[in-house]
Amino acid sequence: MGQIEWAMWANEQALASGLILITGGIVATAGHFTQWYFGAYSIVAGVFVCLLEYPRGKRKKGSTMERCGQKYMTAVVKLFGPLTRNYYIRAILHLLLSVPAGFLLATILGTACLAIASGIYLLAAVRGEQWTPIEPKPRERPHVGGTIKQPPSNPPPRPPAEARKKPSEEAEAAEGPSAGPQDNPIPVTDEIV
Amino acid sequence: MESVGGWHPGHALLQLFLCQMLGLYTGWNPVSSTSLNNTVSSSVCGSCELSCCQEFWRFLLGLCLSRASASVLNLNCSLILLPMCRTLLAYLRGSQKVPSRRTRRLLDKSRTFHITCGVTICIFSGVHVAAHLVNALNFSVNYSEDFVELNAARYRDEDPRKLLFTTVPGLTGVCMVVVLFLMITASTYAIRVSNYDIFWYTHNLFFVFYMLLMLHVSGGLLKYQTNLDTHSPGCINLNRTSSQNISLPEYFSEHFHEPFPEGFSKSEEFTQNTFVKICVEEPRFQANFPQTWLWISGPLCLYCAERLYRYIRSNKPVTIISVISHPSDVMEIRMVKENFKARPGQYIILHCPSVSALENHPFTLTMCPTETKATFGVHLKIVGDWTERFRDLLLPPPSQDSEILPFIQSRNYPKLYIDGPFGSPFEESLNYEVSLCVAGGIGVTPFASILNTLLDDWKPYKLRRLYFIWVCRDIQSFCWFADLLCVLHNKFWQENRPDYVNIQLYLSRTDGIQIIGEKYHILNSRLFIGRPRWKLLFDEIAKCNRGKTVGVFCCGPNSLSKTLHKLSNQNNSYGTRFEYNKESFS
Repeated sequence: MGQIEWAMWANEQALASGLILITGGIVATAGHFTQWYFGAYSIVAGVFVCLLEYPRGKRKKGSTMERCGQKYMTAVVKLFGPLTRNYYIRAILHLLLSVPAGFLLATILGTACLAIASGIYLLAAVRGEQWTPIEPKPRERPHVGGTIKQPPSNPPPRPPAEARKKPSEEAEAAEGPSAGPQDNPIPVTDEIV
Repeated sequence: MESVGGWHPGHALLQLFLCQMLGLYTGWNPVSSTSLNNTVSSSVCGSCELSCCQEFWRFLLGLCLSRASASVLNLNCSLILLPMCRTLLAYLRGSQKVPSRRTRRLLDKSRTFHITCGVTICIFSGVHVAAHLVNALNFSVNYSEDFVELNAARYRDEDPRKLLFTTVPGLTGVCMVVVLFLMITASTYAIRVSNYDIFWYTHNLFFVFYMLLMLHVSGGLLKYQTNLDTHSPGCINLNRTSSQNISLPEYFSEHFHEPFPEGFSKSEEFTQNTFVKICVEEPRFQANFPQTWLWISGPLCLYCAERLYRYIRSNKPVTIISVISHPSDVMEIRMVKENFKARPGQYIILHCPSVSALENHPFTLTMCPTETKATFGVHLKIVGDWTERFRDLLLPPPSQDSEILPFIQSRNYPKLYIDGPFGSPFEESLNYEVSLCVAGGIGVTPFASILNTLLDDWKPYKLRRLYFIWVCRDIQSFCWFADLLCVLHNKFWQENRPDYVNIQLYLSRTDGIQIIGEKYHILNSRLFIGRPRWKLLFDEIAKCNRGKTVGVFCCGPNSLSKTLHKLSNQNNSYGTRFEYNKESFS
């Protein structure tokens, strides 16, 4: 239970509530119920909630599935900075948005669902979760031969790199005599038979 | 005929199911429609509102929509429990009563069927709620003083919201919608993949949903008239007030001025049918028997019985014989339990209260108990917090307490309970003459149990050739079953059936060590670097097994599964048919 990320569930709930609010609002305004202006409000609030909740936040551990086409809304939501990052603010916002829709019968369901989503966001905020945007990963250009810095300076037989490095450093530090372009780490004797 | 172009009987069943529901919805349920007719005609005709056509239509539409969607909901709420009776499905899969492979493959689709029913419940609940909200409004506006019992509202223009929250059906309905909302938002694919716990805990609220459903229909909103013979619809009540009193001669002249076109043979019937009756007594109404109880009691009892059986069966802990640590974060547990029988390919659910009191996790059996050996085992990959804690309990970290010898640790193993075994499509691989088994990483576990069974005795099964392809990212992973593969290979060589098992190992990561181990020559010579080329492989298998049906089984990442499914459905020039058997994981 300790590793559940509640914000993801709250996000799904808020998105669903937004859709329910829109549907209820359409029914209320199209049916010309009394107090139909609550229905119009419900449609506007539903659209706003859907747009705010569409980009999914990044999970702390592991990869997150993006919603299709969410990168455009991510850019917009990111602009508001701490207002959208903090889940306390989102919880209070959703609670306030849900209250006016509760006065009309057609939209009362949206109120209940958005209130529940607001509660779960509060829980997520209490546990210290935050909304982080999902950045597109920069495509890594494969560095062909990135580990190859320089071609080897000595012909074979070549000892491993560590043995090659040490004599050359010592030689540089001591400014010892350099016996020509080829430095043999192992002395080579020419056997004349 | 089965997988031509990707169509197969499971799709037909789904289409039949959808047509049935459409039939229920449009043709609506005869019982409820007669009662509906009586209700509506009694209340409407009796109060002479026939002239208000628009209101009548709205009344009827709201009631009909809610009744029709209720019928669909009845069907779905009863069917949705059946795919979750896993012990029953495992029994059906293994029993002789289901001889046809086609029927067994339908059982593979049980999870998909459950999800379809769930989505349908969601949609039709929306329709039902919308229709009832309209009804609530209508009941309060069109309160009928003449038929007080029929009204849902208690007085005229009662606030519909009060109707919603203070009546039993209204309140239970609202609670059910809230529960459904919680369950559905937690069941999306993204949540199941990332936070399975939320899905599992909210889904267990289904029991609350069913209890509320039983209460919801007991409210007795819809009534039927019990004394139709003494008070038929449209009869004249001579004791009524003046607003409704129509004098008899006027009535007769209005309705019977048209001459009857047909011959006298029907005249008696005609007079009987249209002879206006006088109401003998007041109408009496009685609530309909809640049909929903009949629909859902069967599956609910079956599901509860199954859960009880599983609880009793899993109450005895297993005895852990040994715990072996394998490379690449894999742990093998061998255990023993009395009266435990399993077929190769099945899986069990492990529950360890010392690790977590509420969580339980499924693992495929890698070794099944046989007649001679009662030990069975599972291989677990250490991936999440449950498996990490479990591993820490079973295999203490090597840095501490190195003086404690292994045999002392066996007395400190935590209590482990298992539930199962449950069936899976991989059981079918022994029933094909030729099978192609493709495993990705830890997905080799179901096939390991198949290989262990073949090692024990291969003759009783229909399988005569097995193509085993194992793709791994890490060379060390092959060590999990390297011994098993070598022993199996040697056994078939000794029995002069060298082509029974064809092993191909693929290492998808191309850098790093490329030898499994010095002693595994058999496997080293069958090791390929890079990913398999599936089209060539399928062509080769098709050419070597002309005209046969090859069962294709895949346990691995989704992309692999999709590729194989697509290739299995393609035609080839050798007349070989590939049947793809799919397992769904989350």
